[in-house]
Amino acid sequence: MGLNELYARWLDTATRAGFAISLCAFLAYVGGLLPAYVPLEELPRYWALPVDRFIEMTGAPQGWAWLGELGYGDGLNLAAIALLGLVTPVCYVRLVPALIAQRDWLQAALAAAQLVVLLVAASGLAG
Amino acid sequence: MEIAAVPWWIWPIALFAVSFAIGIVAVHAGVGGGVLFVPIVGSLFPFHLDFVRGAGLMFALAGTLSAGPPLLRAGMASLRLVLPLALVGSIASFAGALVGFAVPTELLQTLLGVLIIGIALLIWRLRGADSANIEADALGELLRLEGEFRDPAAGVSIDWRTHRTLLGLAAFGAIGFVGGIFGLGAGFANVPALNLLMAAPLKVAVGSSGLLISVINSSAAWVYLHRGALLPLVVVPAILGVMLGSRIGARLLRVTPAPVIRRLVIVVMLLAGARALSRGLGIWV
Repeated sequence: MGLNELYARWLDTATRAGFAISLCAFLAYVGGLLPAYVPLEELPRYWALPVDRFIEMTGAPQGWAWLGELGYGDGLNLAAIALLGLVTPVCYVRLVPALIAQRDWLQAALAAAQLVVLLVAASGLAG
Repeated sequence: MEIAAVPWWIWPIALFAVSFAIGIVAVHAGVGGGVLFVPIVGSLFPFHLDFVRGAGLMFALAGTLSAGPPLLRAGMASLRLVLPLALVGSIASFAGALVGFAVPTELLQTLLGVLIIGIALLIWRLRGADSANIEADALGELLRLEGEFRDPAAGVSIDWRTHRTLLGLAAFGAIGFVGGIFGLGAGFANVPALNLLMAAPLKVAVGSSGLLISVINSSAAWVYLHRGALLPLVVVPAILGVMLGSRIGARLLRVTPAPVIRRLVIVVMLLAGARALSRGLGIWV
């Protein structure tokens, strides 16, 4: 299997999973199956505010704090959004050993470096 | 009807519809769609620009993630081409996203508008690069930035290679930085950088631009998430709409003639540039 096909297969699967999870989480959120951290009918009062003011008024989570709010519809949806941010790192995790197996050292080093950049960004340590 | 009187559930439905339409057009223009999404939603919807920028970035990310598999399978996106450029672009985009929360937006909007319109005019004036006559440079050869692309619309097979690789890397650093600042995928600049500067065939440039955005935006997206600038009621309908729209767009791209794509790229860039300029100058905020 070529690298393009391998990456396409992983990207396709991860993206479809992200899509399905986002859709389910969103339906649970707007359908009222889960309580909302900021009630939906109150959101229009806050969504025109700058983000800092929004957080100040609603107490909405920042950083990784949403992990503690997964019982809320909005917290669960942030988790689904974060999963989409993990699709590319997951594909690179599969790509690096495939490049190494082909002894394509330069491209493998580039892919490994990219993976480090993505993981540092996701960690929130540098932001 | 007053905006305040509109029930909350109307907005996610409207966002889904707008995002679906942009998703189809965006793939054809080689952009993630953030460059269309941010000005359109920022103008017509009641959400603060902070949330629109965050949603715009996720919108571009979701659309290009969704379009990636068909583009790769059709040979229109080259992973080998994307790997080095995305690495430089994503580091710069991450830095840009951090800077974007601290720099006056009006000045940067104005500069962005001028830049986009300038690039659109450049593409309009210049012909597409002819990849068949390109000699690869040393770095391009080392990275093996080459491939074969069969264009079913034109009925030809193109053996392509890139040149000016170092300049290309520098360009993607600058593009990633600007994209990170504004919450855009910056595909509007990827295509000319790949096609005009590095001489990748236009369709390979358009396809690879989509894949580049999916990698580059993955790093900047985390900055917006950690800052609390991703509002699920805005982000999720947008990404669901664009993921469906861009899948349809990617399939249509394979059989759409290159001149049509070129004209579409120019129109999209002129519109987006004019909008960014008008906002930067305070003419139409």
